[in-house]
Amino acid sequence: MVTESDLGERLRRMPPGSAVALRLDPARYADHYLLAINATVRDVGIETNARSIYVSVTNPSALVWSIAQTLDVPPERLRIVDAISHIMMDYRNPLPNATYLESPRMLENIMLRVEYLLRKEPGQRHIVVIDSVNSLAIHNPTKLLNEFLHILLNNLKARQVLTVLLAVRDDSSPAIDQLLALVVDETIDLGEGVAPP
Amino acid sequence: MAPPEPGPHPATARGPRDRCSTGIEALDNILEGGIPRGSTVLVAGSVGTGKTTLSLEFLLHGAERGERSLFLSVTEPAAKLVENMRSFEFFREELLGTGMLTLVDIPVVYERLGLDHEEMRPDEIRIFLATLDAFLTESRARRVVLDSLTSLAYRIQREERIRDFMLRLSEILTAHGCTTLLVSEIGPQPGRYSLRGVEEAIVDGVLLLGNARRHGDILRVLQVIKMRGTPHSRAQYVVEMTPIGLLLAPHFQGESGPEE
Repeated sequence: MVTESDLGERLRRMPPGSAVALRLDPARYADHYLLAINATVRDVGIETNARSIYVSVTNPSALVWSIAQTLDVPPERLRIVDAISHIMMDYRNPLPNATYLESPRMLENIMLRVEYLLRKEPGQRHIVVIDSVNSLAIHNPTKLLNEFLHILLNNLKARQVLTVLLAVRDDSSPAIDQLLALVVDETIDLGEGVAPP
Repeated sequence: MAPPEPGPHPATARGPRDRCSTGIEALDNILEGGIPRGSTVLVAGSVGTGKTTLSLEFLLHGAERGERSLFLSVTEPAAKLVENMRSFEFFREELLGTGMLTLVDIPVVYERLGLDHEEMRPDEIRIFLATLDAFLTESRARRVVLDSLTSLAYRIQREERIRDFMLRLSEILTAHGCTTLLVSEIGPQPGRYSLRGVEEAIVDGVLLLGNARRHGDILRVLQVIKMRGTPHSRAQYVVEMTPIGLLLAPHFQGESGPEE
């Protein structure tokens, strides 16, 4: 079981280039979602002076951004790659710090948008958050997803970027579990008893 | 007009492995450093696949590195091209003023030379090529883009004349030590990279840009079909156009491969 106070600390202690899976409890999804954003974008982002690149496949960037604002995340520290608003036909008010993809099936373009954002700020520390493996799995066949995560995470590892993959426990499948076991260095299970920030 | 100096140009005499970096890091990696210097390369693709953007990046990168670069535009006015170049963060206006980057409107050249027939006669083709030769001498260009070869070939029409034109064009470009991209507009059907099919046999390389479909989504893709003088991957790469230039990623195949 992981408490709110030590999640950020655990992520901050991860060696550069690590990949971590954060397993969220579906019964406490809202709390855990908030906790995950708080620990990654705010705790790791601000306290290690890193920029966050948040790949949003589950929720539109507008929601992610409103949560980040609630958590007092400075706008210049967060970039969102939004792969869901377009297919939800919810693209009327684009955010200046978000970049929009037509579909979560354009996995190569997700990778290239992350690459672009990393190249825009060379020499800057970064944390990349993938939200989430389950949502990606809804839109993509497992083998394609395997290829994507394998190549993306290897690239990020080579660049010493900390990557956090959100995954929803119980919503998972053996294929996703196998995939996560292959690509991440550590899995953190957000159990009961975790309070929202 | 002064003829080109006899013998190989210093740029081409340095050996077949001397490379001309395209400025597109992933493409340079695929080509083991860049296009073999002095090559003439067809950039083929259907509409909206990024041919002109790739070509502009190639020229801007050259101009930034101190290589004089020449864009011969058949289809778009130079002013519009300048606007397109402004979308690149690395574009600097002064490259145009200093002669490092020159844009030529070919329709204006046709008009000045009185080449007003719908189909160019052999003597008109000779005049056009001699004028191009003079441009290269005057501009001392080391990088050239012709956009598009297809529009030019439409005015030549006959296959044997296109072949002769291509051979002579290739000779002129080689004599000037130019590394050249010839833009070729093709339909979406695979198997041919130019209007008549003779063009790709004469050039040193073919870069193919196109679209790949995945469950209704369309991905821009690039593939090096041929490149003399260098080993290279023939795999497809997905292209993303960004303000810092073209970025490439491997095209994931999944279980059944991409839909074309």
